[in-house]
Amino acid sequence: MTITYQFACTHCGQINIYQALQNGEEACCVRCSSVLYRQRKYMFDASLALIFTGLILFVMTNAFPLIALKAQGVTQELTIWKATAAFWEQDYYWLSVLLALNLIIFPLFELLGLLWVLLTIRLAWQPPWAIKIFRWLSEVKPWGMLEVFMLGLLVAVVKLGDIAVLVVGSAFWAFIFLVLSMAALGAHLDRFTVWRALTACPSA
Amino acid sequence: MHTSTPLIHCKVCACVGQRPAVLQKNEVLYCARCGHHLRSGHTNLQTIWALLLAAAILYIPANLMPVMSVYLLGKGQPDTIVGGVIHLYQAGQWPLAVLIFLASLVIPLLKLITLSYLLITIQRGEKRLQQERMWLFRVTEFIGRWSMVDVFVVAILSGLVQFGNLAHIEANAGTFCFAAVVVLTMLAAAHLDERLIWASVDNNNSPSIENAK
Repeated sequence: MTITYQFACTHCGQINIYQALQNGEEACCVRCSSVLYRQRKYMFDASLALIFTGLILFVMTNAFPLIALKAQGVTQELTIWKATAAFWEQDYYWLSVLLALNLIIFPLFELLGLLWVLLTIRLAWQPPWAIKIFRWLSEVKPWGMLEVFMLGLLVAVVKLGDIAVLVVGSAFWAFIFLVLSMAALGAHLDRFTVWRALTACPSA
Repeated sequence: MHTSTPLIHCKVCACVGQRPAVLQKNEVLYCARCGHHLRSGHTNLQTIWALLLAAAILYIPANLMPVMSVYLLGKGQPDTIVGGVIHLYQAGQWPLAVLIFLASLVIPLLKLITLSYLLITIQRGEKRLQQERMWLFRVTEFIGRWSMVDVFVVAILSGLVQFGNLAHIEANAGTFCFAAVVVLTMLAAAHLDERLIWASVDNNNSPSIENAK
């Protein structure tokens, strides 16, 4: 049985018709040629694996120092929390809140939210919460900025190179791989397929 | 949106539904599948202009005020963004200087210009270059968040370099203004509905089969 129904391209609004694809294929919008959806083998299972990896790395990243600085026998360690708190201590409360959202709360929400959504699909739970969460995730996505922080960390490392002795902390590599696994997760999981798995379109 | 189309669709989950023939004033439609509100038409363009204007105004203090001060042996020196770029260049770290120059000066400015250009073409109902403008928007949306790198660098440096009188680094008001510029332009990009670029050529009534690659 072939299922076809109409849906809109989220980029340009053109109405397209859904057709089932083979594994590895992708469908493009007739008007603006944006990718509409992809068919991948083991998409949900691979994404779940990436989420669990991400969650473990997230805990490690937040629990241990990223880098440390040695000068005159004194060692200063830097964690994500400390970078966030630095603004708070200097009375830039809004900046501190912004950093906490960008670096801790939104990335954690992305991991836990996607975990909930994918478990809902895999274990056939009732979908109302997963639908809400997945909608919020699409709005929160640009505000999680771990990869930008990674670039900032590299800039800071180069800048401090001449001033003092830098020590790579235990969480440094965990952090790099957290960024990589979240990027892989974003690239692998197809939003359209998730929406289709969560619930059928009412007008279908 | 043109009223000639009876179909309405959701930006988040791509779901298509029938648009009711009569809409009450101030009535808001919600997507039947994901519950996202379905915005229609040009109502939000004023908000985006306001956000862009606020960002453009804050761009000036963000560049004139110091972003951080480095205190070495008790002597302090406040640095603006441009000052920081020049210091990096003089220290021979020109790849970093280029990176910060792009992320902190060029990208926010380009973002203000491209978003204004897109808004003007949308308001004029421009029918050409849809594809190009769509890519321009996507690049702008994607690249905007990388401007935050300078704010993060200040956070890292002021969190790490705290050796009392020997050396410490302090954040200054410029960082706050700069972060506000980035957040405001990101909000503007998030509010701008890409589909408005195509609104002038919308032909939703004639669905066709998409080409599968």
